[in-house]
Amino acid sequence: MKVPLSWLKEFVAIEVTPEALVERLTFAGLEVEGLTRIGSDFKDIVVGEVISVNPHPNADRLTLCDVATGRETVRVVCGAPNVRAGNKVPFAAIGAVLPNGMKIKSAKIRGEASFGMLCAEDELGLSEDHAGLMQLPCDIPAGTPLIEVVGGPDVVLTIEVTPNRPDCLSILGIAREVAALYGCRLNLPSIKFPETGPAADGPARSATHSVAGGLTVVVEDTEGCPRYTARLLRNVTIGPSPLAMRLRLARCGIRPINNIVDITNYVMLECGQPLHAFDLALLAEGRIVVRRATLGEKMTTLDEVERKLTPDMLVIADAQSPVAIAGVMGGAQSGILATTRDVVLESACFKPALIRKTSKTLGLSSESSYRFERGVDIGGVDWASRRATALMVAHAGAAAARGVVDCFPVEPKGRSIVCRFDRVRDLLGVDIQDNEIASLFEALTLTIVDRSKKSCTVKVPTFRPDLEAEVDLIEEVARLYGLDKIPSALPHSQFVSGSADQAPPERSAQARALRPGEPGVNDAFIRATIMCRDTLVGLGLTEIINYSLVSEKLLTLCDAARTAQRIVLPRPISVDQAILRDALLPQMIETLGRNRSRQIAEAAFFEIGRVFFRNDQQAYTEEEHVALGLMGPVGRTGYDKRSALAETDSFLWLKGILEALCRKLFIRVDERPAYEGQGAGLAFQELTVAAPPALYDLGCFEKNRAMVITLDGMPCGVFGLVREALRREWRLVEPVAILEIRLAPLLERVTTVPAAERLPVYPSVTRDIALRINNRLRHVDIVNAIWKIAPKELTTVELFDIFSSNEIGVGCKSMAYSLTYRSGERTLTDDEVNRLHLGLKDRLRNEISVEIR
Amino acid sequence: MKAIAILALKEAALIEARAAGTAEALEQVRIKYLGRKGLLPDIMKGLKDADVSERPAMGRYANELKQELAALLEKRRAALEKAAAVSAPDSFDATLPGRWRAFGARHPISRIIEDAIRIFDTLGFTVADGPDIETEYYNFDALNTPADHPSRDTQDTFWLESGQLLRTQTSPVQIRVMESRPPPVRIIAPGRCYRRDTTDATHSANFHQIEGLYVGERVSMADLKGDITCFAQRLMGPGVKVRFRPHFFPFTEPSVEYDFSCHVCGGKGCRVCKQSGWIEISGAGMVNPKVFTKVGYDPETVTGYAFGMGVERIAMIRYGIHDIRLLYDNDKRFLEQLAQ
Ligand SMILES: [Zn+2]
Repeated sequence: MKVPLSWLKEFVAIEVTPEALVERLTFAGLEVEGLTRIGSDFKDIVVGEVISVNPHPNADRLTLCDVATGRETVRVVCGAPNVRAGNKVPFAAIGAVLPNGMKIKSAKIRGEASFGMLCAEDELGLSEDHAGLMQLPCDIPAGTPLIEVVGGPDVVLTIEVTPNRPDCLSILGIAREVAALYGCRLNLPSIKFPETGPAADGPARSATHSVAGGLTVVVEDTEGCPRYTARLLRNVTIGPSPLAMRLRLARCGIRPINNIVDITNYVMLECGQPLHAFDLALLAEGRIVVRRATLGEKMTTLDEVERKLTPDMLVIADAQSPVAIAGVMGGAQSGILATTRDVVLESACFKPALIRKTSKTLGLSSESSYRFERGVDIGGVDWASRRATALMVAHAGAAAARGVVDCFPVEPKGRSIVCRFDRVRDLLGVDIQDNEIASLFEALTLTIVDRSKKSCTVKVPTFRPDLEAEVDLIEEVARLYGLDKIPSALPHSQFVSGSADQAPPERSAQARALRPGEPGVNDAFIRATIMCRDTLVGLGLTEIINYSLVSEKLLTLCDAARTAQRIVLPRPISVDQAILRDALLPQMIETLGRNRSRQIAEAAFFEIGRVFFRNDQQAYTEEEHVALGLMGPVGRTGYDKRSALAETDSFLWLKGILEALCRKLFIRVDERPAYEGQGAGLAFQELTVAAPPALYDLGCFEKNRAMVITLDGMPCGVFGLVREALRREWRLVEPVAILEIRLAPLLERVTTVPAAERLPVYPSVTRDIALRINNRLRHVDIVNAIWKIAPKELTTVELFDIFSSNEIGVGCKSMAYSLTYRSGERTLTDDEVNRLHLGLKDRLRNEISVEIR
Repeated sequence: MKAIAILALKEAALIEARAAGTAEALEQVRIKYLGRKGLLPDIMKGLKDADVSERPAMGRYANELKQELAALLEKRRAALEKAAAVSAPDSFDATLPGRWRAFGARHPISRIIEDAIRIFDTLGFTVADGPDIETEYYNFDALNTPADHPSRDTQDTFWLESGQLLRTQTSPVQIRVMESRPPPVRIIAPGRCYRRDTTDATHSANFHQIEGLYVGERVSMADLKGDITCFAQRLMGPGVKVRFRPHFFPFTEPSVEYDFSCHVCGGKGCRVCKQSGWIEISGAGMVNPKVFTKVGYDPETVTGYAFGMGVERIAMIRYGIHDIRLLYDNDKRFLEQLAQ
């Protein structure tokens, strides 16, 4: 909403600086987004009369004009297309400075001397118009200072009006606020005019059907149009509107058209009521019908676009066809023309939802629809009509036909609200006196109809439909009293029931409480997630956050198999953000690839975020996941980073991170790792096992380079090396290891309180064993075999060397383990340990086919 | 053996000690004379077999030998060390880069969410959660959003096939929490939200919010101001002030927008705050009684405040990030800059 201060001051006589007003309005809820200074004192700019116009000898588009300036006649070179002899136009003399900073000097233009400049409106900062010279009224004598014609400098405020305050979409509405804020009187403009002709009402008047002076109005849809008024203005003279009006419209961003149309717009800006003018001669049978459009009906709007109408749109029709889309835009066929003689002036009220829907369906909005869809003051409809009529009588020579058509079947009852003084003080936390509250209401022209010791009853005027309940009145108090006067209460801590601190300690109940996205208070889960994040950061991983919406291309690249599970947006904004991600890994790989393309050679990333999928019953499901991704020599420190990165390196680093994380989260990580997925705590399964729900398709992994992760026997995630073809998409040359796991099972034991165990008393003794084995045998096979035959004194088995060589032979490797023996009862002697170790070696030979070296 | 022989031995020992040019050579001398199997212990062992008249002198000379040699060795050792410190090349290089695994970095979005959780934790707020895929009821109806409100449009909201939607705000969590328990309620709810905004430097179709809600007896706007101020000062710095401007939201009444005074210039005006001294943060207000009625609370007995904040916006202000897309670009260098 643009508000020229000069206009506002006609409604409220305030003496404040624009800056002070901006501050006051902003803190009363009318946020001022912009302050524009317009015009100037126009020193050395006067009204010039163009005496003669001659062609420029050297330029087709330029003319040589002789201009009378009141004191002399000077020669000016002019480029405007609309310059004619006899025009009165703004003349800037040598030495004048235009508002845009341009200084006028005597000049030679294409060889001809020019002593001044004839100006367009934009050059004077009066509007955006640069179509031609600004045309001034012909009756002003040459030499009159321009400031006397167009007024001095002005300030235009741009105010952001919240949707609950449609009344403030007008100068009047803003003026009411200003009057309340500054405690000054509101001056309303005149709505008096003489009426002519016979008595208004025809023979058949009802609430929805009315006749006046040859005009018949029928409102068929009174729900869509609760009030419709029309006045008839005869013998109008169509011409330009007064300069002052044109300038004001321009300042508010509306292009002047002619006096009738300008007046409808002017009054709309003034009081917020959109008006429409029809040419009576163009209305078939002099009839106006407010009705729904019929199916297949079409109409060409003022902007020359043919619109397809539907029955959920309200139209203004004549006896035959629609002439306007109610509240949105008039038709091209019934508008005011230069030849119009009799004007029908519509001032009406339409149902906001209807106008909004119509405007949206047609993709057509206007100053009018903008106001109607927020709601206009049903009590102010006739005032606006009178105001416009008075202006048309004054500026278009109109004769107002006697009376008015006013179809207003149900006059709304005025609303009264009780406001308790204590309630105001309690809700705002401020000590404001009863009388002060009451006087703030009065300043807003809310009449106090009743007052007791504890409360007052306020009558709400029709222009404030937003005031529905007591709390709305309290808001009025708050913003007028000043939010800055509300104190800051000292913060205090208060523990309310149901917080994590009071959660039952039993593990099962705790586990149930730890569900991501579960509605309601979920303190423990979120805090555990934070701990999980910090742990990963401590392990050297950097957190990433990716969009929840991804492209189908990316998902399918990694996972062509599981499209049925995905939740696809019916109306995405772009193909890049079309599907809710059902896994974190695709973006993890993409992120690693993006970093690699920026010369970042190594990265260790994690993301904790939600994935979305349809479950077996097709219901939308969301779940929190953790993804990890490693590229480059991230597991090495210092200057050993150059040596080639083996697949095993990346894979085992990632596995190590998982193990470290699990230990931190009290998940058992056995030194005797279970590879059939049956063990307690962290274990692994071959990838051939069917993937659990919501887990990423295993197709993005290299064959035989991935494992399913199980927690307490439940498949929960997957990890491994990215398949080579997929890496190539992002030019990732070296091995890339990735992991994705469900967060909830990871956090299930996070609240465990560990119990202290007695430390060993007797010393341990270590013996090594080196094995030559076939490559087919895995670490887990050896460890399991050792444990199977281990004496009770064996406490740990630790791999400390692994290598292949010519001596070891093709297809074989050497693995060396360090075995620790200890007794809980006494110190073992060397001989005892040697005996135990020798026995173990012997039995191991029988257990698996190894050669002990 | 004669006492004189011990004196000669002493001379020889001192000469050898003076001649020794390295720490190893000095050690050799020490071992030769003073070591467990050295010459001096040998002499001392032989003392009981020596001539009685010689014994006192021998004892004295042996003692002299021991003390003088030890003193000289120590002096020489110190001198050699001093010389070595000045000149000798050594492979030990203290300037080599340290070798230990570095920390990773937290993403600024999750860092700010965590900070907010910790700050409000001290005021007794617990963390609440809700689904990203919401129903129209929780996202709009229960929050008193008019049936034909523009924010419900397919223009602004991602609707799903099922008629559910991607939440446009974290406010539905308020409703879910209030439905699940009687007052009082003190929660904050961080989470992802979605709007149909085309991505540019300041817009993102998916973003994060933190919602706060406090409902109880006689909760007032002064409490809201106090608690937000406490948060602002702990998050942005002790001098930060908070101001309210009236605004409009369907689910709060009165509604405000709140600003922080600029943490960079202290309110004097700078580039960050566009010379205004203030930075717009987000919206807040007193819970609309209509919302209480929807969740079965009695608006006559409880009042409450609610506030929201955009996490990306706070991250951008706090770290001086000019483009929201950087937060989702996940460039390792960018993330490491902001590690704290
Ligand atoms: Zn600043």
